[in-house]
Amino acid sequence: MVEVRDLVKVYPSGTRAVAGIDFDVPRGDFFGFLGPNGAGKTTTMKILATLLRKTSGTVTVAGHDIDADTKAVRRGIGFAMQEVGLDDLATGRDFLQLQGVLYGLSRREARRRADELLELVGLSHVAGQRVGTYSGGMRRRIDLAGALMHDPDILFLDEPTVGLDPQSRIAMWEHLEDLNAKGVTILLTTQVMEEADRLCRNIAIIDHGQIVAGGSPESLKAEVGGDVVQIVLNGSADGPDDALNEKAEGLVRQQRYTDATNRVDGGIAVTVKNGSAAVPDLVGLLHDNRIPVASLSVARPTLDDVFIKYTGRTIRAEEATGDEISKLMGLRRR
Amino acid sequence: MNIARETYFIYTRSLKAWLGQPALVISTLVPPVFMFLFFGTPLRGMTGIPDFPSDDYFAYFAGMIIVLSVVMNGADAAFTLLTDMQSGYFDKLLLAPINRFSILMGMLLISGTRALAQVLVIVALALALGVSFKGGLVGVGAIIVAATVFGIATACIGVIVALRTKSVQVTQNIQMMFMPLAFLTTALMPKEFLTGWFKWAVTVNPVDYVLVSVRTIIIVGWDWESILPGLWVLAATTVIMLTAATWTYRRATA
Repeated sequence: MVEVRDLVKVYPSGTRAVAGIDFDVPRGDFFGFLGPNGAGKTTTMKILATLLRKTSGTVTVAGHDIDADTKAVRRGIGFAMQEVGLDDLATGRDFLQLQGVLYGLSRREARRRADELLELVGLSHVAGQRVGTYSGGMRRRIDLAGALMHDPDILFLDEPTVGLDPQSRIAMWEHLEDLNAKGVTILLTTQVMEEADRLCRNIAIIDHGQIVAGGSPESLKAEVGGDVVQIVLNGSADGPDDALNEKAEGLVRQQRYTDATNRVDGGIAVTVKNGSAAVPDLVGLLHDNRIPVASLSVARPTLDDVFIKYTGRTIRAEEATGDEISKLMGLRRR
Repeated sequence: MNIARETYFIYTRSLKAWLGQPALVISTLVPPVFMFLFFGTPLRGMTGIPDFPSDDYFAYFAGMIIVLSVVMNGADAAFTLLTDMQSGYFDKLLLAPINRFSILMGMLLISGTRALAQVLVIVALALALGVSFKGGLVGVGAIIVAATVFGIATACIGVIVALRTKSVQVTQNIQMMFMPLAFLTTALMPKEFLTGWFKWAVTVNPVDYVLVSVRTIIIVGWDWESILPGLWVLAATTVIMLTAATWTYRRATA
C-alpha cells in the first residue's frame, strides 16, 4: 500500500529532517513509526499524505505516485494530524459532512456517513454542538471520524493519542484495532512504546531522519536478547552489603545459562535466554550458598530496551520538556 | 464545474460560522449605522454652504458610509484564514482532493457577503431617514453589486498580507491602514471644498473614484460622466487584487 524509496527531505533552513529512508507497508498492515520528537516521523507522514514536498526519492501510496497523481493519493487516504486540525466554530456533524462532500460524497451520503461515524466514535450525543466545546478525547475522535468519512484504504495517524487520558487512549486504541480488523491499512507515528507494542504489526524505529531498525515488535525484542532476571538480596538493615552482592554476582556469572550480569540499583540484573526456566536454578544456587534472597523477578525485554539498543538512549530522554511540563501543569490544575 | 461546487461548500461553512455568532454579525452591522447617524447628524448644516451638491446631507453621506464600511472590513477574510492556519484546519482543507483555489474563493465570497449585508442595512437606514435614491431601484441594485465586489477586492489585500506574514498582529495593523484610504476622499465634503495635499491625496486615492460613482447614483442619478471613472477603477482594482491574491495563494500553498 505504501512504498518508500530513498526518501529525503531537507528543509529550506538546511535541516535534514529525513535522510534517505526506505520502507514498505503491505495492505492491511498496522505499521508504526517509533521515534523521539524531531526524529522525522511527522515530516515523513506529511510527505506521504501530500502535505509537504519531498526533496528526493520515490513514494507510492495506494498504488499512485504522490507527485504524478496527487489527487488520487488524497482520495485514497485519511489523515488525522498531530495538530488536530478542526473547525471550532462548526458543529461536529457539519464538520464531518463538509469533510464528506469535499471528498466527493453527495450531500445525502455525507449526512448518512456522518451519522454512522458519530455513532462509531461515540459522539452522537454532541453532534449538534460546536467542536470548540469538545474535550481533548472527543476532539481526537471527531478528527478520526473526519479522516474516515470517505472510507479511505489507508489511514495516516500522527501521534493519535498524545495528550489523552488513559481511558480515552484505550478507547482510541480499540477504535483503531477495529478499523484495522475491517481491512484499513494504518500507519501511525508514536513516541509511546506501549502503543506501538499493543497496536503495530510492524515497526520502524526512526532517529535523526533514518530508520535504525525495523520488524515486528516480537522480532525486535528478540534481537535485544533474552529475559532479564532481577535479584535483590536480603542483607543487613541498610540493605545488602557490597560483598554479598559481589559474591552472588560471581556465582551467577559462572552459570552456563547466564549471558550477562549487571549491578543495578541495589540488586543484580541477569540476562538469560529463558527467564522462567532459569529462576528455579538461580534460587537453588543462591540458597545452597547461603545467600538470602529478598526478591526475584523476571522481565521480558520491552520496546524501550529495543529503542535503547538502537539509539543509545531512552525515547523520553530528550523531550522531557514540553510534554512532561504540560502534564505536570495538568496535574496541578486538578 | 467542480470548483463551483467546492467553493459553495467552503462558503457555506464560513457563512454558518459567521451567522452562528450573532455578536459578530451585530458588530459588523452596528458601526456603519452609528457612523451614519453620529457623523451625518451634526454635519447636516453643510448643505447650506453655497454650491454643496445636495440638499440632503444624509444622501451625500450615505455613499461614504457604504464605501467606508466595506473598506474597513478588508481584513475579515484574512482572520478566518489565519485562524484556520493556526488550528491546522487549513491543512486539512488542502488535503482534500479539491481545487485549492475553491478555499480562497469561498473565503473571499464571505467578505462579499458581509459587505452585502452592510450595504443592505445602510440602504434601509438611508431610506428610513428619507434619502431618495435618484438612480432609482436599478441604482440601488447597482450600488449593492458594486459594494459587494469592492468588498471582495479589499478582502484580497488582507488575504495577501495574511499569507505573506502569517501574523495576526500585522494583519490587524493593516486593517487600521484602511482607515485613511476611506477618509482621504470626498467623504465629508465635495472636492471643490478641499485644498492642498489633501486634495492631491484624494485625487490619487482609488477609493474616492468608487465613492464618487456610488454617491452620484444616489444624489444625481445616472450621470455617466461622474460614474464611469469609478466603475473603471472598481473593475481594475478587483482584477488586480484578485490576481495578486491568487498568485500569493498559489505560492503559499505550493
